[in-house]
Amino acid sequence: MTGLLQGFAVALQPQNLMWCFVGTLLGTAVGVLPGIGPALTIALLLPVTVYLDPTAAFIIFAGIFYGAMYGGSTTSILLNTPGESGAMMTALEGNKMAQNGRGAAALATAAIGSFVAGTIGTLLLSFLAPPIAELAFIFKPQDYFALMILAFLSVSVVMGTSKVRGFISLFIGLSFGLVGIDKATGLQRLTFGIPDLLDGVEMTVVLVSLFAIGETLYVASRFGLHKPNLNPLAGGVRMTKEDWKRSWKPWLRGTFFGFPIGALPAGGAEIPTFLSYTVERKLSNHPEEFGHGAIEGVAGPEAANNASAAGVLVPLLTLGLPTSATAAILLAAFQNYGLQPGPMLFINSGDLVWGLIASLYIGNLMLLILNLPLVGLWVRLLFIPRPYLYAGILTFSLVGIWGASNSVVDLAMMFGVGLMGYMMRVYDFPIAPVLIGLILGPMSEVQLRRALAISQGDPMALISTPFSALLMAIAFMIVAVPAVVHWHRTRKIEPMDPTQG
Amino acid sequence: MTERPYWIAAGTVGWGAIVLIKAAYLPQFDQYAHVGPGLMPTVVGAGLVLLGLLLALQIRRGIPFNAQGAEDVNDAHVVSRPALALAIAACALPVLAMQPLGFVLTCTGCFVLVAAAFKSHAWVKNAVIGLVVSLVCWWLFRKLGVQLGGLLPIMGV
Repeated sequence: MTGLLQGFAVALQPQNLMWCFVGTLLGTAVGVLPGIGPALTIALLLPVTVYLDPTAAFIIFAGIFYGAMYGGSTTSILLNTPGESGAMMTALEGNKMAQNGRGAAALATAAIGSFVAGTIGTLLLSFLAPPIAELAFIFKPQDYFALMILAFLSVSVVMGTSKVRGFISLFIGLSFGLVGIDKATGLQRLTFGIPDLLDGVEMTVVLVSLFAIGETLYVASRFGLHKPNLNPLAGGVRMTKEDWKRSWKPWLRGTFFGFPIGALPAGGAEIPTFLSYTVERKLSNHPEEFGHGAIEGVAGPEAANNASAAGVLVPLLTLGLPTSATAAILLAAFQNYGLQPGPMLFINSGDLVWGLIASLYIGNLMLLILNLPLVGLWVRLLFIPRPYLYAGILTFSLVGIWGASNSVVDLAMMFGVGLMGYMMRVYDFPIAPVLIGLILGPMSEVQLRRALAISQGDPMALISTPFSALLMAIAFMIVAVPAVVHWHRTRKIEPMDPTQG
Repeated sequence: MTERPYWIAAGTVGWGAIVLIKAAYLPQFDQYAHVGPGLMPTVVGAGLVLLGLLLALQIRRGIPFNAQGAEDVNDAHVVSRPALALAIAACALPVLAMQPLGFVLTCTGCFVLVAAAFKSHAWVKNAVIGLVVSLVCWWLFRKLGVQLGGLLPIMGV
């Protein structure tokens, strides 16, 4: 508790308030703009923020993280273009509401729901993070290793439509993570004799290439503009009494789906938003409205989406375990500052962690103020001519990549990985597992080595603690159960129709 | 017609094989930590080869590959090859031009190429906008401490 108060003391300093404002402003903007998201923005800001105090940098990042969520709901409601998977359910009902002239009410319930969920989520984070971080003290290397294996498997299985493609993404990320000098032995791995690769593959380069370059190539090849032709403020700015009555329960329910699922290693916003949508449809007194603009279908998923964002911060801050692309780049940012998330972070950098958490409360409030009355202003961002928008994104990407190390090898990698990002979009490979593999791969190798060094090479040591055994069992089931189910199903209806897949 | 992109499977197997071969030159085990520098590459390489083969199997059975949705993408997913080529050229340009021509000129070139890929053919206007954007970026980020190199390295500036 004292920690949190101390955090508010840090976050309320005028300078940090300003950074929080900058972050939320940037976050909302990138959430509204197509082609650029929170992970990419943080990656591009990394070289700049190296010169800032870490607390200030993380306050900006936190603002971007939460702000993008608000901005994303604006575009999915008004344009039916969910920028990220978490906003898909919002688009379903929200866009219908906008078409019926209730866009303003949809935006309001989304913004207030996000605020409620974000605040409750941040509250849960403040109370849960310290005890979980304590837990990390008694974690042994095998527990960490098991946790990472679980994260690998669940990220690959959950994200995307195909498990094989999810795993290919993960393994490509793992192979990138191998590049460079092996820390334990000093031997070079996969460097192909290129000196620039001795330090390994930069997270920023891979992330920027996959997101910015891949997206630019993809959109350029299939360009077609959805004109925003809706008046966002039609039908009045306010929510009616009826709207409030129908919204508040979905907000709370969405929060309690979003936070715990976001905190799990499998994480993600897809499952909680989908769950929330389904539950609201079941519980609603107006089930016939679903599919035609039911306000519950906006309020619930939007709250779940924001709560899961707060949930993602729990494993990141307490165990150093990222479960989304944005969390992966945040972890890279911590490493850039020589900080290791986990229990020591709460002790050694209390000001930073609690300042960050406190600024999440403040940021949420700022976002509510920024978004409710000013939504008409944000929508104008959508009118930026696309040729300049995407050309600008490439320019900023070059600042990020060239500015980081002035290396032509990095530029060549940007080109190669960017082409890969294009192909991954065309053939539907999930992108986040690449980043998770890249950042967690080397960390898991360290833990594996530690565990085996302590046990003098006995592989059974990897499941020797109850926690690691449990996690490994769950990890095994994540892969085995769907495979067995699939096998049973295909056996029943054999022979399989070769025209179907 | 089902698309059968076997080349992706082949690429995955190929990259896995490279990782495996490279790993074979490294010691797999280690006296002290028991996990040698070659072990992880071997596991990852083998995994990639296996996954590539699995993907080939799926492709043979005709699994669908549906392009991902994105903002600003036309609903029919019609592919414009000239636009793609222009965008690819824009991303390749920095590899060749960044060192001799410097950040500002390279970015101006990229800007014009991307704008052209998005069907804006006002070359002169785009070049001017690109130059201004690049100059402002270069100046601003240098002020912020990011090293972006000289204004025109080939002239020694």
